Amino acid sequence: MVAGPSKRRARHLVFLPYFVFLALFLIWPATFVFVRAFQQGDASRNPMIEAMTGQFRGAFVYSLQISLSSAAIGLVVGSLVAVAIVRLDHVRALRSTVVGYSSVAANMGGIPLAFAFIAAFGMQGLATRLLREVNIDLIGWGFRITDFWGIVLVYLYFQIPLMTLVLVPALDGLRRTWQEAAQSLGASSAQYWRFVALPILTPALLGGFLLLIANAFSAYATAYALSSGGSRLVPVQIRFFLQGNTITGKTNLGYAMAAWMVIVTALLVLGFQLLVRRSEKWRS
Amino acid sequence: MRARNAVWWLVLLVATVFYAVPMLAMARFAFQRIPVIKLSWGNVFDKWTAAPLVDSLRNPDFHRAGLLSLGLAVATAALTVLLLVPTMTFAHLRSPRMRRFIELSSVLPFVVPAIALVIGFAAAFRDTAPIFVRSSFGMVPLLVITALPFTHRTIENGLSSLDLRTLADASRSLGAGWNRTIWTVIAPNIRGSIATASFLALTVVLGEFTIASLLLKNTLPLYLAYAQGQNPQGAFAVGLSLTALSAVFIALANRFGGTRPGSRQQR
Repeated sequence: MVAGPSKRRARHLVFLPYFVFLALFLIWPATFVFVRAFQQGDASRNPMIEAMTGQFRGAFVYSLQISLSSAAIGLVVGSLVAVAIVRLDHVRALRSTVVGYSSVAANMGGIPLAFAFIAAFGMQGLATRLLREVNIDLIGWGFRITDFWGIVLVYLYFQIPLMTLVLVPALDGLRRTWQEAAQSLGASSAQYWRFVALPILTPALLGGFLLLIANAFSAYATAYALSSGGSRLVPVQIRFFLQGNTITGKTNLGYAMAAWMVIVTALLVLGFQLLVRRSEKWRS
Repeated sequence: MRARNAVWWLVLLVATVFYAVPMLAMARFAFQRIPVIKLSWGNVFDKWTAAPLVDSLRNPDFHRAGLLSLGLAVATAALTVLLLVPTMTFAHLRSPRMRRFIELSSVLPFVVPAIALVIGFAAAFRDTAPIFVRSSFGMVPLLVITALPFTHRTIENGLSSLDLRTLADASRSLGAGWNRTIWTVIAPNIRGSIATASFLALTVVLGEFTIASLLLKNTLPLYLAYAQGQNPQGAFAVGLSLTALSAVFIALANRFGGTRPGSRQQR
């Protein structure tokens, strides 16, 4: 009785190391980014405002355009692949193979992925060469692996499988009985998809879309390796400003851009979480 | 029905080509000593060699980078298990609210992109505890954080598939302390999950570029980026091997899945 409150406190003490760890190595660094981002110093404008003007805003627009484009294409193609493996579920080992490779590819990224696409779609790439054999001259059309659509193409390598992985469980949640019920009420297959399946899948699709945007938005290594560090993407720019501090005199601009990145990804991840929770409602 | 299925087969075919071509192109560039311009149907099978990979494996820079990455990977996996297994076990046993809270906190690393995390980390610790920024192993906590969403999920799956309370009560009533209960009773029962979490941590660390790059630590991915300029063929060969290695790790993680079969007493 006497030891009650302190004993209860002791019972919760076991969680302390984990939360201290999180606070020290995740919360504190993130907070520090924001503290620095709002420090004006000698600059004429607050870095948070400066980061949203002129060329710096341009970097965000460019980054978001790449993220949106790769997420939109990834959404469509990844969903098609997901539907394909659910439709062809009777084929042995097909699902496990595609889902297995998707989980490998969704985690790929970084330097090796950049290498693979340079080898395939670079100036001297194998695919570039093969396509030229059939009179598709990518380079002649102005395609460069370091340009906008080049980066989008590379990002698709992890965007498409990620979308597949998000959508397959949602597709599995569609009950056969719902389709039978729709049919027995006289609905065509198209009507079933339009009025039953699609509304149920919408949260998963939208959530996947947000996840893909966030995924592309925070990618750094691939873009860095593709462009040898000269890309206009936000993460690459952040590094540039942190290293170029003394020259530009914009000490805290890099932190401000990072802070804006955290704000954008936080909103996207929050949206994803809420939508996924809604899509799981159908799946109990 | 057959015709409708043909459409889906076509989708899979296109996806397979898209997934395969970059890897094949990287393999060809790495292991065939013929420039793309001179490549023709007549010499597709000529001059294949493993020499670029073998030469790279002998390179002392590669050794240093490889050892560092391996050390970081093992340290990250170990710290992850040490941190997560006891915390999450207690959360399962004592407080469903805490369990929910830990689950929420485990997706936080998705919210803070690696580039923001590492510059905040460097700025926060440079003056107060410079050892974290200067020492090569100072970045291990950041790697644990980066892998957390994946590692938490697998350990959570493992723990939920056990009848944890019975196990813990049995162990405690036989006189075992908490340390002993967690590491000799509960941990062996979720060894599949622990293995999976470790493989995922290994994969994350072997591929991680952003953090190492901004802290100027010469891990394998940094070596690759550097070697790309010096010896592209060797760099691509190592890059391909690294990709294959992560694929094996992820396949192993998928294989081990949650826990061993037969231990599913609860959902």
